[in-house]
Amino acid sequence: MAAATDPHQIFLEEAAELLIQLEAALLSLEAAPDDRELIATAFRALHTIKGSGAMFGFDAVAEFTHQLESAFDRVRNGQLAPSAELIGIALAAKDHIRDLIGGPDAADPAAGADLLCRVSQLVGAPAAPSQAAPVAAEGRREAMVTWRIRFGLAADSLERGINPLPLLDELRSFGPCTVLALTDAVPPLAELDPVACYLRWDVMLTTDHPRGDIEGVFIFVADECELQLEAVGDAGGRLGDILVRRGDAHPETVETIAAGRERLGTLLVREGVVGEPQLRSALAEQKHVREAAGSQAAAIGSVRVPAERLDNLMDQVGELVIAQARLKQLVAACDDGHIKAVAEEIERLSNGLRDTTMGIRTVPIGSLFDRFRRLVRDLSHDLGKNVRLTMSGEETELDKTVIERLNDPLVHIVRNSLDHGIEDPDARELAGKPRQGCLQLSAAHSGAQVLVKVRDDGRGLDRDRLRAKAEEMGLLVPGAPITDAELLQTIFHPGLSTAAQVTSVSGRGVGMDVVKRAVDGLRGSIEVASVPGEGTEIALTLPLTLAIIDGLLVRVGNGRYVIPLSAVEECVELSTADDLRHTGRNFLSIRGDLVPFIRLRQTFRSPLPADPYQKVVIVAAAERRVGLVVDQVIGDHQTVIKSLSRLHADVANFSGATILGDGTVALILDVGHLVAEGQAAEPPRQAS
Amino acid sequence: MPPASGNRSFEALTFALSGEIFAVDAYMVREILDIIPVTEVPGAQDFVPGLINVRGRVVPLADLRVKFGMEVAAISPDTRIVVVEMELFGEATIVGLLADKVYEVAELTEAAIEDPPAIGMKWRPDFIKGVGKHGNDFIFIPAIEHIFAAG
Amino acid sequence: MSKTILSVDDSASMRQMVKLTLGGAGYEVIEASDGSDALAKAGGGGVHMVLTDLNMPNMDGLSLIRELRKLPAYKGVPIIFLTTESDGGKKSEAKAAGATAWIVKPFQQQQLLDVVRKVLG
Repeated sequence: MAAATDPHQIFLEEAAELLIQLEAALLSLEAAPDDRELIATAFRALHTIKGSGAMFGFDAVAEFTHQLESAFDRVRNGQLAPSAELIGIALAAKDHIRDLIGGPDAADPAAGADLLCRVSQLVGAPAAPSQAAPVAAEGRREAMVTWRIRFGLAADSLERGINPLPLLDELRSFGPCTVLALTDAVPPLAELDPVACYLRWDVMLTTDHPRGDIEGVFIFVADECELQLEAVGDAGGRLGDILVRRGDAHPETVETIAAGRERLGTLLVREGVVGEPQLRSALAEQKHVREAAGSQAAAIGSVRVPAERLDNLMDQVGELVIAQARLKQLVAACDDGHIKAVAEEIERLSNGLRDTTMGIRTVPIGSLFDRFRRLVRDLSHDLGKNVRLTMSGEETELDKTVIERLNDPLVHIVRNSLDHGIEDPDARELAGKPRQGCLQLSAAHSGAQVLVKVRDDGRGLDRDRLRAKAEEMGLLVPGAPITDAELLQTIFHPGLSTAAQVTSVSGRGVGMDVVKRAVDGLRGSIEVASVPGEGTEIALTLPLTLAIIDGLLVRVGNGRYVIPLSAVEECVELSTADDLRHTGRNFLSIRGDLVPFIRLRQTFRSPLPADPYQKVVIVAAAERRVGLVVDQVIGDHQTVIKSLSRLHADVANFSGATILGDGTVALILDVGHLVAEGQAAEPPRQAS
Repeated sequence: MPPASGNRSFEALTFALSGEIFAVDAYMVREILDIIPVTEVPGAQDFVPGLINVRGRVVPLADLRVKFGMEVAAISPDTRIVVVEMELFGEATIVGLLADKVYEVAELTEAAIEDPPAIGMKWRPDFIKGVGKHGNDFIFIPAIEHIFAAG
Repeated sequence: MSKTILSVDDSASMRQMVKLTLGGAGYEVIEASDGSDALAKAGGGGVHMVLTDLNMPNMDGLSLIRELRKLPAYKGVPIIFLTTESDGGKKSEAKAAGATAWIVKPFQQQQLLDVVRKVLG
């Protein structure tokens, strides 16, 4: 644990932790205003911040927190309802406390005074009747330990109103728990006293709660109960050992009997060494410990590794993959079967290593989604809207770099949805919708990609306004036909915003183009769907990782290039007829659809004459297709992406480079850019 | 580093560009390569026409002769690539510099380095950091970082 | 032989402050983070004085005082509780539960030391 010994420093750490607990409790309290534990947690956090703050000279903190604490004391005692308003104030106050702790200058005194004023108004309001309940909350947590708890109650304890069931339930609430009743003391029916307690219990509990918590369970029956509490550790082991450790059997007896070949348990019981109940209990312990060890292996089998080391590992795996590709190429021209077999083995191993390494770098997207709870809450509040945030697929994993770089675009999208998409409660009611709007964040795997969606049930995109705006900006000739999908795509154009009123949240015409660029930068794509009156859905398709892709290696002139395979739809031959139609538009008919094509030899100014049989690689991005005319399709190529230096930042056709099997560098085509170029080749394009 | 008037000396790698002798501080130099396959980057400026593979890294290859308006001679058996590392746009960047010929690592005395003359220079004065003498030859010290940052 | 004081508080910074103050004055300090922790660590006795916060998770100070008073080892051991003015109503409750005295937070280190010396004699 922290080595700090200065109470002042400890307070700073403690306060930071308490503020996090406070915020989490407040956010959860919104959904569950009756949860006593949450209220207690919030109160205690405030109480400790105030008390300790005053002790260590944080007078402003203590003074400010005091009023809030009083309010939550009233909430705790059922005199004040934990209303959305109070929680809103408390969240803002939490931020203010954080600022105050940061230093007297970091906080805005006027804002603080305003918050206090609002708190006292609320506290002065009539109290909501509610019953106060005793409060229990989580204690300090320690490492997982398995405990063997054996307890029995005095025979007359049931008569005196002691009920063992709540005790067992409380133990169960601490963690995985195996309860076994020992019935060996139950007399024959004729002798049985129906109100006496004959049972004892063996409980195997694996928990991070400290011993004190477990003893605390029995604190009120301590005088009349028989209680043994022992840490089993993760010893577990053989049945005989367990029985001996529990004192149910002697070591020598077990040894003697175990020398036979029959199952030890059966033997021990038959020989009368241990009773049936003891045996069952010991077996239960054996099983419990094994299971607990198994689940703990999953829980504690994680190691924190600096991200930098992972990046280095990824680099090295990248090099290995390149070297392996090179080996594969050399071996292809070789007749030695043994060498070929080794090369295949190395390919299998390096692919496995690549996948494992990529797996290490992935993290669940939930960590990113969680940040939106607060954003949505604060923003909808500021905008006077009532919005519920739902999430799904939080466990979906993707590369940590992708997740980090996804934050800003998602913030933009969510802000837009809240600002322009979801209507205020009155407007919603008028439109026949529930007053509360709904914003949904979801994530799911789809092949080698991840689909992240932000969906709202707001008013949808206003096509007329989009169109007007696009015409105004010269993106669209007035009255010209445009497909709905194309019209929706215009929201990604720089400078286009449909907000009639510029708000502080969005609507300055920056946002969606920034989103588009960020998503392009992640080699992802973005799609919009919107139904007027029903809502808008923005779908981001993102690669699982930024480091390695499967590519299609092609040759144009004497240069070799890589096209990301995920963008490739098909390869066709360029017919002489299509090739010769130099005049007019370059279009190719693919099963009835006209697809524009780009001659990469021209784009790349290759001086060499074209191959006689050119190929067209049909690629797609953002639901649009473009054909790329190449001289030769060489084949699949596992590609480790290297970024281009700033010296080549002005070259738009390439998203990066890679090293081929023979050691030369090949450029990776930026499909998104080329598709946009190909599509834009025809209508007049804005000068940039 | 600005030419200082001390007596301290530093090591510099001298090389030829179109018949003139240039020198870069030896601390920048990572390695010197014989000519290797260069991948042309279509659409790039003439000054940084391609990419090379330096020990598994993709490194831009730059031709200073373009910046100095010199004639670009064909690749000869003497042609080398001087791989240098420098701080560019706030990040450590590795660049390959084409050289017609690499001479030696010479010991230059800072006192012997003078500011480039304000007039009489064939090249943009801000591209030259200083001029020194080595024997009877003039040695030009290019302002490498500045040249690259200028784009 | 130095005297042992049981310090019970869920705030680590408060515990540290108490420990520095009393430890520096030559007392042994046993720390516990809440009532049940205190009982676990010092339920068996051997403590000459208890210093406890009132508002704590798991087992609050009042319950702790009641529990301690049930234990023979704590017969006659002074129990001092720390409180803030806002806990006002708790004082009489705590006294009824068996507390000996209280200190109002915030306090100076010297005040704490004075009270402890006075109580322990």
